[in-house]
Amino acid sequence: MKISSNFSSSEIRKRIQSNWQEYLSKYGNLFTSDSISGSSPPSVFVGSYGYPKVGVGPMLPPIHGDTTLLDNPEQWLGKSLEEIVNFRLNLVRGVQKLTVENTQGRFIENLHEVAMSSRSIDSDLQFHKTTFPVTTIDGESPPFGPIGDIKSAKFSGGRAEKSIERVYYDHDLKAQDAVLTLYNSGIEISKIQKCFSVGMFGKKRKLVPTKWSITATDDIISKSLVSEVLEFDLIDSCRVFSHDHLGNMFSVILFPHRWIFEMLEAWHDGNNIGFGFDSEDARGIDHPPAIAGAYFAAKLGVAEYLAEKKIQAAVLVLREIRPEYAVPVGVWQIREAIRAAMKKEPYIAESFDDGTSFASKRMSVGKSEWLSRGRLLKMLKQKSISEFF
Amino acid sequence: MIKLEFSAKTNTSNEWKAIISAISTLVEEATFEATVEGVSFRGMDPSHVALIDISWPNSAFEKYSCDSDIKFGVRIDEFSKIIKRAEKSESVEINISEDSMLRVSIGKNKKYKMRLIESSVSDTPLPKITYDSKIALSSTGLDKILGDIEVVSDYLSIKTTSKNVEFSGKGDSGEAIINLEKDTEELEEISVTQESTGTYSLEYLNPIVKAMGGAAGSIICEFSSAKPLRIEFKVTNIGRIHFYLAPRVES
Repeated sequence: MKISSNFSSSEIRKRIQSNWQEYLSKYGNLFTSDSISGSSPPSVFVGSYGYPKVGVGPMLPPIHGDTTLLDNPEQWLGKSLEEIVNFRLNLVRGVQKLTVENTQGRFIENLHEVAMSSRSIDSDLQFHKTTFPVTTIDGESPPFGPIGDIKSAKFSGGRAEKSIERVYYDHDLKAQDAVLTLYNSGIEISKIQKCFSVGMFGKKRKLVPTKWSITATDDIISKSLVSEVLEFDLIDSCRVFSHDHLGNMFSVILFPHRWIFEMLEAWHDGNNIGFGFDSEDARGIDHPPAIAGAYFAAKLGVAEYLAEKKIQAAVLVLREIRPEYAVPVGVWQIREAIRAAMKKEPYIAESFDDGTSFASKRMSVGKSEWLSRGRLLKMLKQKSISEFF
Repeated sequence: MIKLEFSAKTNTSNEWKAIISAISTLVEEATFEATVEGVSFRGMDPSHVALIDISWPNSAFEKYSCDSDIKFGVRIDEFSKIIKRAEKSESVEINISEDSMLRVSIGKNKKYKMRLIESSVSDTPLPKITYDSKIALSSTGLDKILGDIEVVSDYLSIKTTSKNVEFSGKGDSGEAIINLEKDTEELEEISVTQESTGTYSLEYLNPIVKAMGGAAGSIICEFSSAKPLRIEFKVTNIGRIHFYLAPRVES
């Protein structure tokens, strides 16, 4: 196996960290205060620590103006890892501890207005204690700015997205249907997910920790797209799509077969390579995927393509995580990378075998190694009853 | 006065229970078709690996009338909940009139109304296969064999000769073989025109055999090498319940 990289992960983190510290030497005072005034992109966050009593609140940078970009992954394709890390470090998170059933009251209703606003919202937060800027970056979890316990919060009026407002006031609409309605009316997934997390959908509303709400949103939408795809004719060729993003190499292989989805991941761990995978057939997946939210984010990107082209295929997604991906930044990077891959001209392969060879040629893991790590070949041994009609 | 389009009554609830539990192993929504001749269902599971074909002739009903061909779709879990309210000995009568509601009358005095769902339009064909091997055994016998194999394997292989049938499975932990000889109590019938071997997924076989275990007395399995398996469940008062399962093939 060839493992080569210009920089190790820790070198990359060190570089990002020292640039950030240099920035703080000039602007650190903005993050060292018992209050913050700025424009929320808009952004809200629900923690998972202490569930069902969780930290909930808005996120905002100490800057006024149009800050939309700071929490809008749909606009981040093409940005560097350092830019994205900086976006996150700039956001100060105010929190109040609330139990998840608590979706009423002034504070939470203000957050609902923040979440459904189509533009940045001026906000003023007072904290119980002074916050301090975050100065270190680890490679384990997505970076965050400072966190402060909210004493009081004030928000200026937002401009509510009309379609979100409609499902928000509809208490008879199931959360799942709310998500689909908004997706179909063109609302960005990152926005739907924020509204989902602060308990704005469904009959019995609840706060949902941000990381779960991201997975749930991708799961609901991709499941619905796949149910459409199951009605379409099979693709007529084997197509390979690729895209590299923030030190992740992605390849998507589509081939003529009833819906099967398998995603394989490989990551560099010193001189070793670690593997993970999960898969489903047309009956769907009945357990939390071994590779967590990455699975649904990739499935969504591929299902969007198939639904738009009105074709059905079996899908193998390969993801090689290279050391250059030194700071994890969230599953949006997978969703957007797969969407970008599916917009490119595919390589038309002669067969599944040829397609997998083509896809793995540029990666550190060879075709047979990839395939031996998953379940796809085993699944393909199962014939379909329609082959005998 | 509501004009009845379709009405069918059975003396017991067993038939509906058997049919619903069979279908529920494959799909969540089912479209039935009723004609002058009787009620039928045909559908595949979402991954198109298994197919169920049910034909229930009008003669098997206590009372049957169908003015014109009608397709009706139900959510199986909702239908099942209602039918489960019937005791074994209670009659079940279903009616469909113009308002797209299914009326279910159970026994003397229980009356339910259930909303129908959009019925699927696709017509599923049946696999065209010449079966080289045919065996008959009791449904409980087959259920036990699947249990024996499941200990070591996810798949069941069936191998026939003119004198015996061998059920086997292989897994990481080892192998299992169950041999049934011709003219023994366990094997009610065997007829083989060509020795056959087929491998089938227990993930699909187990649920259907369990679901039908109570209702079906005996079972007829037919298959050919590397071709689908067809299981016929013999249920009193139902014309035909066929379960088709596509094979697993090493390639």
